[in-house]
Amino acid sequence: MKPDLPPRLGNALEELRATLDRAAELAKEIEKQPEAAAPSVPELQAQLDDVRSDREELSSKLAEYESQVSRLMNLYVATYQLHATLDPAEVQATIAEIAINLLGAERFVLLFWKTDESGECEIAFSQGMKADQSGLYKEGIYAGGDPAVDATLADGVLRIGPMDGSDVLACVPLTVQGTTVGALVILKLFDHKQSLKPEDRDLLDLLAAHAASALFAARVYSTTDRKLKTLESLVKLVRRQ
Amino acid sequence: MKPKKVLVVDDSKLLHRMFEMMLRGYPLVHAYDGREALDRLAEHKDVDLILLDINMPRMNGLEFLAAVKANAELAKIPVVIITTEGTEDDTQRGLQAGASAYVKKPFRNEELLGVINRLSAGTGTPA
Repeated sequence: MKPDLPPRLGNALEELRATLDRAAELAKEIEKQPEAAAPSVPELQAQLDDVRSDREELSSKLAEYESQVSRLMNLYVATYQLHATLDPAEVQATIAEIAINLLGAERFVLLFWKTDESGECEIAFSQGMKADQSGLYKEGIYAGGDPAVDATLADGVLRIGPMDGSDVLACVPLTVQGTTVGALVILKLFDHKQSLKPEDRDLLDLLAAHAASALFAARVYSTTDRKLKTLESLVKLVRRQ
Repeated sequence: MKPKKVLVVDDSKLLHRMFEMMLRGYPLVHAYDGREALDRLAEHKDVDLILLDINMPRMNGLEFLAAVKANAELAKIPVVIITTEGTEDDTQRGLQAGASAYVKKPFRNEELLGVINRLSAGTGTPA
């Protein structure tokens, strides 16, 4: 039997009871929830597979990025070093260092068209050519004979071997303002480097674009500097007299 | 963990520039031949890793390595040979001379960094 309560108090008790009932229901639901929320073994397995797949993808992307960074770094360092000096001998040494250290070239020659009308190229630099059997590169001169080298010197197009009738692995045109002034001819790689790789193509392109202009600028500077010093000496001599 | 100071011994300016880029954050000491490298070691007592080329003027890499290994104070410094001499015989010669690792040029940056990290972890060098 319900006691007689003032209306406001009765309503409050009703509300309290309703709230308690709801709280009890919520408590029951919460007790049930862990079981309901717990994923099944197959679900967990699927989630684990997803995580593994993501990890593999990230790992492969990381390797790809590292490889790209390495490639870009090589290109940056090569460009920087080519233009870091105005001494022609140092520029030539840098071209050789790029060929040896970054491309893995064991035997190569750096050719430049002679300024006379002979149609021959002077060998500005060579490495490992004592073992060359072709006989095309001797006494500091290349007079033609290798179809790939001749073609590159003529049309200024980069060629990568193997090519018919040629032992050349790569022939890189050296161009200044669109004119081919010479070529870097790679004849052999180190034994531990089986072949030129796709990423080496970037370096070859870089050499084609930058090596000759760097060397040309250095030679012009060197000539101008020499002339300037001669003129200065003459002026001094004249002043003394 | 990483080396406190790395001595780079190579006659190629290009390679020195490359190492500067690759090993950012590692203090580097530069030498262009074996004899200069010995002088640098005398000046920098805290060098704890050496990256060494073989073919160099004045004193080559193997001669330098022999001098380092003959000195009790220096002998413990790990040496990584980085060279174009890539035959199995060359590798064995370098390792028998006391090198901790042998890397052939041209190398991939991550390959060399992996070797350096492995050596640093092995020696327990503080970061």
